[in-house]
Amino acid sequence: MLRRTALAASALLAASALLLAACAGAQQESPPQQREIDADASIAVRLVLEPGNLDIRQTAGAALDQILVDNIYQGLVARTPKQEIVPSLASDWTVSPDGLTYEFTVREGVTFHDGQELTPQDVVWSLTTRKTTPEWRDSARLANVATIAAEGQTVTLTLSAPDSTLLWNLTGRAGLILKEGDTVDYKTAANGTGPFVLEDWREGDSISFVRNDAYWGEKAEAAEVVFSYIPDNQAALNAALAGEVDVVTGFDANLQEQIEADGAFALEGGKSTDKGTLAFNQASGPLADKRVRQAIRHAIDHDAFIEAQASGQTLYGPIPELDPGYEDLSRVAPYDREAALALLDEAGVEDLTLTLTIPNFYSTTIAQILVSDLNEVGITLEVDSVDFSTWLNDVYVNQDYDLSFVLHTEARDFENWANPDYYFTYDNPEVKRLYEESVAATDEAEAADLLAQAARIVSEDAAGDWLFNGASVVAVGTSITGMPTINVNERLNVAALASYR
Amino acid sequence: MIRYTLTRAALLLLGLFVASVLIFLTLRVLPGDVAQLIAGTNSTPEQVAGIREELGLDEPLFSQYVDWIGGVLRGDLGTSLLTGTSVTDELAEKAQVTIPLGILALTIALVFSLPLGVLSAMRRVRWSGTALSVGAQTLAAVPVVWAGMMLVVVFAVWLGWLPAQGFPRAGWSDPAAAIRALVLPALTIGIVEGAMLLRFVRSATLQAVGQDYVRTAAAKGLTRDAALIRHGLPNVGLSVVTVLGLQVAGIIVGAVVIEQLFTLPGIGRMLVADVGARDLPKVQGELLALTGFVLIVGFVVDLVHRSLDPRQREAT
Repeated sequence: MLRRTALAASALLAASALLLAACAGAQQESPPQQREIDADASIAVRLVLEPGNLDIRQTAGAALDQILVDNIYQGLVARTPKQEIVPSLASDWTVSPDGLTYEFTVREGVTFHDGQELTPQDVVWSLTTRKTTPEWRDSARLANVATIAAEGQTVTLTLSAPDSTLLWNLTGRAGLILKEGDTVDYKTAANGTGPFVLEDWREGDSISFVRNDAYWGEKAEAAEVVFSYIPDNQAALNAALAGEVDVVTGFDANLQEQIEADGAFALEGGKSTDKGTLAFNQASGPLADKRVRQAIRHAIDHDAFIEAQASGQTLYGPIPELDPGYEDLSRVAPYDREAALALLDEAGVEDLTLTLTIPNFYSTTIAQILVSDLNEVGITLEVDSVDFSTWLNDVYVNQDYDLSFVLHTEARDFENWANPDYYFTYDNPEVKRLYEESVAATDEAEAADLLAQAARIVSEDAAGDWLFNGASVVAVGTSITGMPTINVNERLNVAALASYR
Repeated sequence: MIRYTLTRAALLLLGLFVASVLIFLTLRVLPGDVAQLIAGTNSTPEQVAGIREELGLDEPLFSQYVDWIGGVLRGDLGTSLLTGTSVTDELAEKAQVTIPLGILALTIALVFSLPLGVLSAMRRVRWSGTALSVGAQTLAAVPVVWAGMMLVVVFAVWLGWLPAQGFPRAGWSDPAAAIRALVLPALTIGIVEGAMLLRFVRSATLQAVGQDYVRTAAAKGLTRDAALIRHGLPNVGLSVVTVLGLQVAGIIVGAVVIEQLFTLPGIGRMLVADVGARDLPKVQGELLALTGFVLIVGFVVDLVHRSLDPRQREAT
């Protein structure tokens, strides 16, 4: 009897505890009445990919650039969402007509988050160390810089050859300014000059920033921004519907109706430099034959990817619309099954079986469309879904693959097509020459034109295929303003992100 | 009993040693490494080699193992290659989510499976018993992920009672919020694990019903149910204790899945992320800790079982 009572009692206790816990949670939310910015707001932003560590010097990955550059760390110059280059830690700069001397005026009165002052010597040290430390990310992007020197507030970079990409590179990792001799543990902490201070990193959960009240420029609107890492789109939708996040980035546009259903969110789309890149291993085997690669491109219905994702646009070459050198190349490889069959026939290829190596975090739809499209022209595609580290090892390092799919998010990364050692295995001296000329050009329009020429050749050679140019799909809470929507996978500057009271 | 305990303890240590070797070696079979991940897709082989050397990945395997196991013996599970933080500290932090989650899930599983399992055995000839049994069968077959999604839709999205995902950033300094965050994940694991336990309890009880001692007690004037409860249940309890050992392993596996689904910063989610990043010292530390935990639970269950069961006690 005693046992039965104890059992019943414990069951009751557990049940009531659950109920209590549940009731305590009923939240009340009211829609914003006045459109007045709440300076004390804490805004939760859903992101997809969490960085492995925070070491901005060394660790690769758009997940770091996305939140740390501009918000925490800054360079002499910065880029806007429209991809324009604007002053940042340098109040202005001049470039000599021969393109060999860059003079930057470093702002005064700038302090790092730990209170130390930014000096021109910090700039010299940061750029020099970056250039001379190959383990640091983008070190090679400063290869043309011969000397870096400071005099007063002026920092002068002299180049060994003109470099039309230098200013752009300085808006990224290569140009970030750190404090000389800083003792901060870069892997888990940060010390920059940006409008936000790193508050906390809870691994496997979130990274939070607080407003830098000592910021040299216009202060951030929100008191706190919390980046919540929620990889799954359905979970992100649920979190949004339950009011746990204010902004959802990397959203699935197919879920638009659901997230907009109760009027608390609106879906916004912006262009991006995300390139859904299908690489062909053309070093040897059937894919070394250009006709086979062309046939594959003709066999693929590129519109199907846009339809399946309900976002983005088609892309038929290596350069997306946001980058210089873009050109509509849709006529190079239209969807044409007959042409594909004819090319395969001409190449004498029959019963071709290829393997697609694809990291497992991408939607399975991508592989499904490819399998079915290629099947239509008699190519059997086997899908090898692997984790990203395996992809890096097999495809990137060992170049042991037939076809590979990866979303290349980086802006202005045409250089990889001009690098025969890159995993694309594409080697065309003409493309290499055009790219080098474009880098050496001192006129922006000329540089872009040379890139466009090179890109056209890459596309005509069917060096790869571009399944789609992704869009930044962002669901923004209706009480939120100032959320950037262009290329947010690459950069997410949240200084203007604000919440209405 | 002492001799038995010592033998079991020796086996436990042996098991841990074998596990450590297996864990260490199988992880080395995984393609790719953390240096390549750090260097990314715009790196040269020289760059990667530099990082590899910096991290000590170029050391021979044997000396890596000896370093690791030497550390483990001193109570140091290792250091993350990515963040430089101590694996022991990370485990302690993430355990604040996973252990309460496991306890809550186990409690839920027991609370509903024990009484209902016994009840369904006692009512086996009536429709309610059959319904319970069929219900449990169905629940046990439900994929954990699906159960979790349904619970989220109902309790978080429709009713808004409980959070859909995540764990409060303040952690256990706000206990109410922390518990609320764990209710749905624990229910998800608890229901599925509980349904399996229910079937086990039911069959153990059914077995007890047929035993001579229950029949004898009934013949001496007790009702059938009373005889079962007084004399049969202690034996059912014994079997349940044994199964609980296995159940703990099931709950750990469940936690790995559920922490992904609910974006909970626990040991399971950390483990999956670390495997993906090839942070091997961290993964092996985590796996050894989990394996050790399961082995120790098994060890304790054995001892408890032995001390509870007079038949086994006398056998020693």
